[in-house]
Amino acid sequence: MKITDEQIAYCMECGVCTGSCPVARHYEEFSPRSIIKQLLIDREDVVTRDRIIWRCVTCARCSIRCPALIDIPQIVNRCRSEARKAGYYPEPSHHGVFHIIPRLQLRDFLQDRVGWASQWRVRRQGEYFYFVGCAPYFSSMFRYLQIRPLNISRAILTLLNAVGIEPVVSNREVCCGHDALWTGEEETFVKLAQKNVEAIRRSGAEVVIFSCPEGYITFKHHYTEALGKLPFQVIYASEFFMERIDLLKRLLSRDGEELERVTYHDPCRLGRLEGIYDSPRILLDAVPGVERMEMERSRENALCCGTSAWIECSSCSKSIQFDRLEEASDTMALDGSEEGGILITSCPKCYIHLNCARAALPEDRVAKKLQIEDIYVFLARHVTEIQDK
Amino acid sequence: MSLQREPLIVAFVCNWCAYAGADLAGVSRMQYPPNVRLIRLMCSGRVNEGFILKAFEQGASGVLVSG
Repeated sequence: MKITDEQIAYCMECGVCTGSCPVARHYEEFSPRSIIKQLLIDREDVVTRDRIIWRCVTCARCSIRCPALIDIPQIVNRCRSEARKAGYYPEPSHHGVFHIIPRLQLRDFLQDRVGWASQWRVRRQGEYFYFVGCAPYFSSMFRYLQIRPLNISRAILTLLNAVGIEPVVSNREVCCGHDALWTGEEETFVKLAQKNVEAIRRSGAEVVIFSCPEGYITFKHHYTEALGKLPFQVIYASEFFMERIDLLKRLLSRDGEELERVTYHDPCRLGRLEGIYDSPRILLDAVPGVERMEMERSRENALCCGTSAWIECSSCSKSIQFDRLEEASDTMALDGSEEGGILITSCPKCYIHLNCARAALPEDRVAKKLQIEDIYVFLARHVTEIQDK
Repeated sequence: MSLQREPLIVAFVCNWCAYAGADLAGVSRMQYPPNVRLIRLMCSGRVNEGFILKAFEQGASGVLVSG
């Protein structure tokens, strides 16, 4: 596929993309505008050979503000796939584990990936399918940060059971392929997509629920592009619970009188790429005793969590993350004297990245005391205590 | 060939203990199965999750970390 898109020709060189880019603030040499310019003068070879193309966090802050509506993340994505074909690869984070796991999942062996769900009411066949995603892998990989991303999935099951739904969880599920797609591994992506669609079809599910925004947009847009119309519906968890908010409101309660101060961090995939801004906020407001504050950079202006697709984590990523943590603690007017103030996100990767950054903050920084919690864990905590193990 | 049916084991071994042990076995002319492939490291602390998964990805049936 030729990279130059007709759409690029509409670029008016206003530079809003570079001005909006969180990466460009830290790397002078990174500029979405100059990437587009290079492509315009037919220099794909320059772009694909340059490391720069892997530094983009694909957060879409550029494209949402672009007056010519150029989809810069998609263009970057296409350049990456060309780069990979030409033998240029990104620097993987976490020893490349999260790029190898999906490739291993393409082999014919059955994973044991639902053992954790035995305490909840789940099924092998049924109308609703809960797509767990990478959470089990994240939980074992990020023990050193003292976090358990699998608690997000536990919380989802608690909430689904609470509203009377017994979802299917499956051992046949594989990685959604989001990271393979965004690091230019199209072939791996398509194979993963086929495996997942087949696994879900066999479960007889009509509705697939996602707690990870990446999985959601990958199914909703990229699977449809690669495989055509899907034999089931996809819905993001916050939207799903929104439809049942009256029931959920009756279940939400609070012990004690103390107010909880929270602020919501919009993940780029859910917000800018999908336009879901309101349902997580409405769900948070439904919890009694929650004082929700809005960060200055929120909704379509939200700051990225610093890195994506498990590549190119750098000092730039850390600077972006520190910036976000400080913004959250300023917004909630924390003074560092006591614990309190919860930064809530709905993406497991934002959750991991922000936790990692907080662990790296010096002790005397106010943001060090900030709590970071996933929205579903927060909600489930007010429905019933979930067990950490 | 029955050999090809044998599982391929990749062993990451520490220069200062496990590798020395394997070396001693060799010097003493003790036999060990050829389907174990040793990879010598200066310390088994060098091993990370990526090494292990990469070995599986490239066809290993088992990975031994020894040190």
